[in-house]
Amino acid sequence: MSSIFRQVRAMLRANLLGLRRRLAISVSMMLSVALVVCVLAGFLAMAAGFERTLAGTGSASVAVILGGGSNREAGSDIPAEALRGILALGGEIGVVRDTGGQLVASREVIGTTEVAAGDGAHAATLALRGMDLSGPDLRDGVALVAGRMFTPGTRELVVGLGLARQGPGGAIGGKVRLGALDWTVVGQFAAGGSAFESEVWADLDAVRAAFDRQGEVQSLRLRLAGPEAIGTLRAALGTVTATPLVVVSEAELYAGQSGRTADLIRLFGWPLALLMAVGATAGALNTMMSSVADRRVEIATLRALGFSRMAAFLATWIEASLLALIGVGIGIALSWLLFNGWQASTLGANNARMGFQLMVTGEVMAKASLLGLATGLIGGALPAIAATRLPLTAALKAGA
Amino acid sequence: MTEPATDAPYIALKAVQKGFKIGAEAVPIFTALDLTIPRGDFVAIMGPSGSGKSTLLNMLAGIDSPDGGELRIGSARLDRMGEGARSSWRAHSMGIVFQFYNLLPMLTAAENVELPLLLKPLAARDRRARVEKVLDLVGLSGRGGQYPALMSGGEQQRVGIARAIVSDPALLLCDEPTGDLDRKSAGGVLEMLRFLNRKLGKTIVMVTHDPRAASCARRTLHLDKGQFLEERRAA
Repeated sequence: MSSIFRQVRAMLRANLLGLRRRLAISVSMMLSVALVVCVLAGFLAMAAGFERTLAGTGSASVAVILGGGSNREAGSDIPAEALRGILALGGEIGVVRDTGGQLVASREVIGTTEVAAGDGAHAATLALRGMDLSGPDLRDGVALVAGRMFTPGTRELVVGLGLARQGPGGAIGGKVRLGALDWTVVGQFAAGGSAFESEVWADLDAVRAAFDRQGEVQSLRLRLAGPEAIGTLRAALGTVTATPLVVVSEAELYAGQSGRTADLIRLFGWPLALLMAVGATAGALNTMMSSVADRRVEIATLRALGFSRMAAFLATWIEASLLALIGVGIGIALSWLLFNGWQASTLGANNARMGFQLMVTGEVMAKASLLGLATGLIGGALPAIAATRLPLTAALKAGA
Repeated sequence: MTEPATDAPYIALKAVQKGFKIGAEAVPIFTALDLTIPRGDFVAIMGPSGSGKSTLLNMLAGIDSPDGGELRIGSARLDRMGEGARSSWRAHSMGIVFQFYNLLPMLTAAENVELPLLLKPLAARDRRARVEKVLDLVGLSGRGGQYPALMSGGEQQRVGIARAIVSDPALLLCDEPTGDLDRKSAGGVLEMLRFLNRKLGKTIVMVTHDPRAASCARRTLHLDKGQFLEERRAA
C-alpha cells in the first residue's frame, strides 16, 4: 500500500471520526444535496413517465392519415371528397381489407369537453374521441375490462381506465354531461397505462351530432399489412389530391407529441435543479470550510509530522464527496418513495387531460445522482485547496 | 538507534536571515544567525517572548524556511528545499514534541503514535510492533487503546514523545514540552528526554521558558533580539 494512500486513509479517518463535532452543519449539507437530487429526480421522473406513457401508445402497424397538411389530429381535416378517394382505393395499397374487400379503417374526430366533478366544484377537460365501431379493434393492446362497447348511434361512452380512476363520472352506468347532453358510461377499457387510457370513446356520428360537427373527419386510421407497408400506402395516396395528406404510423404520432412535452418539462426542471445545485454547492463549500477551520490544528499537526499537501487535499475532498454521496442516497431514496409510481396528469395533445405515472428510472437516478455528487465535488474542492495552504506555524499555535 | 554524540556539527546555521512583514513594514528577527550543534547534543534555547525561539524551532523543523543564509541538518540543505521536499524530510529525519501535545483526540494513543509510521513502507504488523515498543519505552505499556481525553497531561505528553521517536529520527525538536504540565509530570517528561539523549543518542533541541527544564540539557543558549547572548554548558 503506497504512502499517499495510507496518509489519505489516516487523515480521512480522523476527519470522519471528528464529524460529531460538526454534526449539524454536515447534516445540513447532506440535506441540501438531497433536496437538489429530489427536485431534479422529480422533474426527470415526470418527463420519463410522460414519455413512457406516450411512447407506449400506438402501433407501428396502424397508419393515421391527417388532412390539411397538419401533423396533429387537432388541426387536421379530411374533406369528404378526399375521404371517398382514400376508401375507394383499389389494389394493393399496404392496408388490410375485410372479407368484403373493404379497407379496415376507422374515421375519427377528437375534441375536448369539460365534465363537472360530482361536487360541481371542479371541471376536468377530457379528450372525447368519436370513432367507427372498428376503432377499438384498431388499437393494439386495448381490452375492455368492464361493461361493453358503445352502440352505434347512441350517446354511450367507453372510458379509459386511467381516466375512470381519476376523473368524475367514470363508473359504469353513470351519467356524464358533455356539452348540452347527458351521456351514459357503458364500459371501461385498459390500454397498459398508455395515453389511450386518458381518452373517452364514443360513436362517431353521436359525437358529431352532439357537438355540431356533422360530416367532419379529422383522422383516418387504417390497419397496415405490416409496419413496412406504410411506404406502399404513402405511394398509393399520391393519387388523392383534394387536400395535402400526412401519413404517419400511430406510434410516430404519439412519440412526436411526447417529445415536445417531455422536453418542456425538462426545460423547467434542469434550470431549477441547477439553480438549487448552485445553492447547495455554496452550502457544501461553507460546510467544508468550517470543517477545515475546525480541523486546522489536526491538519497542521499531521503536516508537521510529514504528511503531504496532496494527502490533506484528497482527505478533505473525499470527505466532501462522501457527505454529498450520503445526501445523494437520501435524495434518491426520498425520490423513489415520493415520486415513483405517483399518478399525475397534464394537458396532453389536443389540450385534454392526460394521466401518467412518474417514473424514477435508472437514468433518472443516475442523472440526479451525478448532479448531487457534482455539488459535493465542486463545493469541496476549494476547502480542500485551503487545507493544503494552512500556515503551519499559525496552526500549531492554535493549540494554545 | 542513532549514532552516539560526536563533535561533528550536525546542525549548522550560517548567517541565517528571517523576518516578517507587518503591512508594508519588514520586521527582521534574525539578520545573521550562526549556530552549530553536534550530533547527540541536547540544547535548550531560552529567551524572552518575541526573541525568535519559536521561529528558530520552526526553521529547524522545516515548517518555516529562512529568507537567507544557510541551514544544514545532517546532509540536508533545508534552505534550498521546497515545501514538498521539506515535508518529506520531516517525515524521515526528525520528530517533534509540541507544548499542547497536538494529539488527535478521535484516535487512540497507539493510533496517534502510529501516524509517522504511515509515511514509511512498513507492514501493519511491523508498525504495531514498533508502536508497542515505544509506548513501553515511555512507560505507557498497555495503554495504547486509551483515548487522549482519558489521560493526564503528563501521559499525553509521553504519547507525544512516543509519536516523535517512533520512526527513530536522529533529531528531536521540543517546543515547550513541559509548558502545560504540573511539576511532577514535567519532571517525568524531562527525565524521558534526558534518557533519549543520553541512552539513545538523540540530538535534542528544546525551546523552553523553564530553567528547570533547561538544566536537563547539555547546553543552554539564550536568545534575545535575534542573537545568542550567552551559552551555559552543563557540568
